Amino acid sequence: MDDKYKFFDAFGLTFNVANCLSAVVAAILVFILVYSLSRKITMRPGKAQNVMEWMVDFTNSIVKQAFPDGSGKNFNLYAFVLFLFIFVSNQLGLILQVKVGGYTYLKSPTANPMITMSLALVSLLLAHYYSVKKFGFGGYLGNFARPVAFLTPVNLLEEFTNFLTLSLRLYGNIFAGEVLLALIGTVAKSFGIVSFVVAIPIEMIWQGFSVFIGAIQAYVFTTLSMVYISRKMTKE
Amino acid sequence: MASILVLGAGKLALGDMLFILISFILLTLAVKKYAWGPITKMMDARSEKITGDLDYADQERARADKMAKEREEALRNSRAEAIEIVNKAKENGDDQKKTIVASAHSEAENVRTKAQSDAEKAKQDAMQEAQNDIANLSLEIASKVISKELNSDDQKSLIDSYIKELTVNNETK
Repeated sequence: MDDKYKFFDAFGLTFNVANCLSAVVAAILVFILVYSLSRKITMRPGKAQNVMEWMVDFTNSIVKQAFPDGSGKNFNLYAFVLFLFIFVSNQLGLILQVKVGGYTYLKSPTANPMITMSLALVSLLLAHYYSVKKFGFGGYLGNFARPVAFLTPVNLLEEFTNFLTLSLRLYGNIFAGEVLLALIGTVAKSFGIVSFVVAIPIEMIWQGFSVFIGAIQAYVFTTLSMVYISRKMTKE
Repeated sequence: MASILVLGAGKLALGDMLFILISFILLTLAVKKYAWGPITKMMDARSEKITGDLDYADQERARADKMAKEREEALRNSRAEAIEIVNKAKENGDDQKKTIVASAHSEAENVRTKAQSDAEKAKQDAMQEAQNDIANLSLEIASKVISKELNSDDQKSLIDSYIKELTVNNETK
């Protein structure tokens, strides 16, 4: 869309104010969520603890699916934080979008490719790091020539496509959702009260659907991250 | 550290990557410290407790089974023991009865034989006494009768023959 962003430069790098602000807000929301849900931890869980443990079990099951032998316990925390962060980020733009003077200050951080690429990069770097750690650098390189040597270029190419599909899938889904929300918003404003009344149910339906998409994409991103990591840690 | 606000869209904001990386790591650390750590610790503790409780229940059940079996065994043993005791008592009673009867028999036999021998002896004594008395008596009578008609020589031979006869008689008795 025609969103405009404020930028500032520091340390020779350019920062997008909206992205940074949104990411911080999402991170703070995630922290507030888990902090408030884990205050009274007892052997017999209360309501808040049950919700928290349900989320932990949910992400743990994602990890367990990718690591059926139970060797993925190290990644439980990463999967948990990743899932919650992406989920909250996806929902943030549906609930709250702040524009001041034509400039966007707050939106879904995951509706920006830089953010999703960063997250995908973290996952794939973890995958490569643990592959080197497990097989040694030689074994790590040797894994590219598996199952047969002539597939090495395909395997190399796959690393880049993994990165791009992982990041752009999330970005595309969330960005498209926000674009459509904004479009319905302009429709609402186009013909005064009549279009406003018509647009409200459509906006509600699309928001609900976006909540659903946001949850699904968070799940998909976490699952695929774990699958990539586990695939890098097994010999094909 | 000059931060300049730049207007415009479509710039490659590589700083965002660094920013999101740092914020994500900080978020992970904070979550780990304040929520993840305590929660997973408690969940582990709970699963451990459940496992322990299940193990404990299994142990207790095994113990109860064992005790029930032992009790049953003891009950069966005690019944057998009781039967044995009764049998033994019966046997003892039988034995005792037999010995008492036997001793009574022998005692009675003794008493009978003793009585018999006593009676025999008494009879013999009486007989002896009677014999003596008769002898004396007859001697007296005889002497009284004879003393008038016989002289001393005849008397003497008569008495001798008489005595001889008496001794023979006594010996044959």
